[in-house]
Amino acid sequence: MMPNLIIDNKKIRVAKGTRVIDAAESAGIYIPRFCYFAELGAVGACRVCAVKFIDGPVEGIRMSCMVEAEDGMVVATDDAEAVDFRRHVIEWMMMNHPHDCPVCDEGGHCLLQDLTVAGGHGIRRFAGKKRTYADQYLGPLISHEENRCIQCYRCSRFYQEYCGYTDLGVMGIAQRIYFGRYKDGVLENPFSGNLIDLCPTGVYTDKPSRYTGRRWDFERTTGVCTTCGLGCSIMVSARYRQVVRLEAAFSRAVNGAFICDRGRYGFSWVNSENRPRQGRVAAKAMAPQKAAAAAAGRLDSLAEQYGAGAIAVAGSGRSSLETLAAWMDLCRRRSWRGFFFDDLAAAPAAPAAVSGLSPENVVSMKAVESADMILAVGADPLGEAPMLALAMRQAWRAGAKVFAIDSRDLEWPFEFQQVVAEPHEIVDLLSGIEPENEIGGNAGKHAGKMAAIQDQIRHSRFPVILCGTAIVDQSTALAAAGLVKRLRKNKKDTRLFYTLPKANTFGGLLLDHRVQPPDELIHAMESGEIKALVAVESDLWQNCTDRDLLERALNGLEFLCAADCMATELVSRADIVIPVSSVYEAGGIYVNQEARAQWSAPAHAGGTPVRITGAGGHPPRVIGSAIPGGDMPGAWQAAWQIAGLAPPAGPGEMLEWMTKTYPVTAPVKTMAAQGVRIFPLQ
Amino acid sequence: MLPETYINEVEKRLRRAVHPREIIIDVMLEVQQFYGWFSDEALEQTARLLNMSPLEIEELATFYNYIYRQPVGKYVIHVCDSVICWMIGGYESFVEHIQEKLGIRMGQTTDDGMFTLLPVCCLGYCDLAPALMINRTIYGRLTAEKFDQIIEDLRREK
Repeated sequence: MMPNLIIDNKKIRVAKGTRVIDAAESAGIYIPRFCYFAELGAVGACRVCAVKFIDGPVEGIRMSCMVEAEDGMVVATDDAEAVDFRRHVIEWMMMNHPHDCPVCDEGGHCLLQDLTVAGGHGIRRFAGKKRTYADQYLGPLISHEENRCIQCYRCSRFYQEYCGYTDLGVMGIAQRIYFGRYKDGVLENPFSGNLIDLCPTGVYTDKPSRYTGRRWDFERTTGVCTTCGLGCSIMVSARYRQVVRLEAAFSRAVNGAFICDRGRYGFSWVNSENRPRQGRVAAKAMAPQKAAAAAAGRLDSLAEQYGAGAIAVAGSGRSSLETLAAWMDLCRRRSWRGFFFDDLAAAPAAPAAVSGLSPENVVSMKAVESADMILAVGADPLGEAPMLALAMRQAWRAGAKVFAIDSRDLEWPFEFQQVVAEPHEIVDLLSGIEPENEIGGNAGKHAGKMAAIQDQIRHSRFPVILCGTAIVDQSTALAAAGLVKRLRKNKKDTRLFYTLPKANTFGGLLLDHRVQPPDELIHAMESGEIKALVAVESDLWQNCTDRDLLERALNGLEFLCAADCMATELVSRADIVIPVSSVYEAGGIYVNQEARAQWSAPAHAGGTPVRITGAGGHPPRVIGSAIPGGDMPGAWQAAWQIAGLAPPAGPGEMLEWMTKTYPVTAPVKTMAAQGVRIFPLQ
Repeated sequence: MLPETYINEVEKRLRRAVHPREIIIDVMLEVQQFYGWFSDEALEQTARLLNMSPLEIEELATFYNYIYRQPVGKYVIHVCDSVICWMIGGYESFVEHIQEKLGIRMGQTTDDGMFTLLPVCCLGYCDLAPALMINRTIYGRLTAEKFDQIIEDLRREK
């Protein structure tokens, strides 16, 4: 039954178990809070969410985070007694606070500052001594300033309960309470950057972005994290033509309220001085468009000399869907040798993962938290897709049993049982799991542990099979899909979750499942069949184990063109470089490992950071009407420039072109904020 | 360093415990007994024994009154600092007397290493107020004279 209640004269109907603080928020009524955070649960510690219960099962002043909504409740958040109560709570919370907002990095986006001002306590009444603390060194990413603490416990709860790490917590008692580490040192939790977002005041602030500005100085946009294949939502802050900070953005389906540190801090390349920002032909710098035109000329004459089959394109899943579509289509129209996809070296099983997923068996990362049994095969979430490990931990905290079949020495922040098996053994082990029968003899020495897995699956309500694509081959990814199919046939709601290495590994294979792996490219270059290579946001060196071979292959080329926003090895070796704008400047669509296409909006208009163009001058100016370095094309536009044609006029026209050329992408036209799932056409 | 026999003893107890965490405080107190106070070395040793992080041990060590994270004297005097003792007439001058007699303030240790003075929030001997505890022995209904006698006796005993 869904309780009906009244909050501030509004009739509200919520799901059973909803807390009054959330019920109010669902009706647009924001109740102040410091300790309450939906993902961390309620502890009722800060006392600032007090409201008055006028009528119903409870009456009087209560903490709205500690009371579940019930039928007949009448609640007033604006009752004079409640308002007075909250005002006093904030006032005594501020007793020891240093009131250092003007020099605090949280100033301007601080919950404590907002509520203090809202409570009318901008001026301090308490004349006593304040307690002070020594701060700690927590590593290069997070600043610590304990004096500002109001003891909400969000940090220690997140760190220890939510993430499962034990090197930060709460020490002391009463007036000596201290949040920090045993001794100075780098935080061990790979999700510790979330402390910055979580802390309602300035105890934990972002270190790399210090002195870059107040929040209102930044151009802020929600985007998609491109660090791994999960596609977490991020909030990008940019100023003076550089990205200064990434934060978690809320996504109900993907990452919830948090992101991992790799995603949060893995953007420095975009501001780098080494990043290609000018076109280059041989050693000569020129405008990107001119470099593209020169490349077009070279490619035409090479095609004439050796045939179109001597030209190839290398791309990767760090490109947007638009870029991948543009270059794949160019390849096809020009009858070039083909499009070679880096990601197939990093994740040989990726094609099977894309074909194995279906609208029936797919599961979002957030829904993994409600699994009651997880079997991970050949996947190391903490290394490959960190936020997935955090989702698995939440499932485990709620009682899920977690199993792994893997040959590696896995360390995850929760308990799990592992069947130590080599990648080639996994197919047989998965095939042996039969919903009805006992584990057969083909499980060999693993029979005991496999029987435990089988038993757990049988007794679970919502099992999730998690499959890696890096250390296992296609047959394993297919076997995982096969297991899910058998269990679903047996009326068990089983879901399938693959990990993929790059933001658009799925997207690339969605556009064309016949893209070729880079080792075929390397062999064709070495044998002299391929004379010219256009590397579009590709880094063949990254996944290549035979570097001598790659060296020989590249030396055999007559022409290497690199279109990239990163300073890769291929860019430094290229005969012609076409600099392209990054996701933060051009935006783009990225399809994550669960087939969810999401739009990452550009955070700023592009150009070389003022820090670089200004060269320390005061003011740091460049005379001219154009943005310095603002003439870089998007990587998809470069495809048209190479073809000597005018690209679609803007993102809207590009979308039109893409959905027409690649009908599989049609759903992106109706993409909502949460994205849209796209599966391969049958 | 803790002696091997001691470590073996703790490990044996850990194996017997239903939940290893139930004996954390016992282990802390015993390790403290060996070192005289709960030094960083003692803390880190305890963390290793219990397979916990030093931070987790520190969280407990800094919460409890009878875990000493700084060196203490031979006798640790915990003076009750709670409401019933306060209500007994002359509490404040009694505490002042203690500090004068020993020549130290709360939280300090005498130069000869004999006495450390610490306030404690309620010993639970409200019927004997004002009360204090010295190395697990409770002394109640105290006066300045009684206290001086206790100190003289302890000094002679050494």
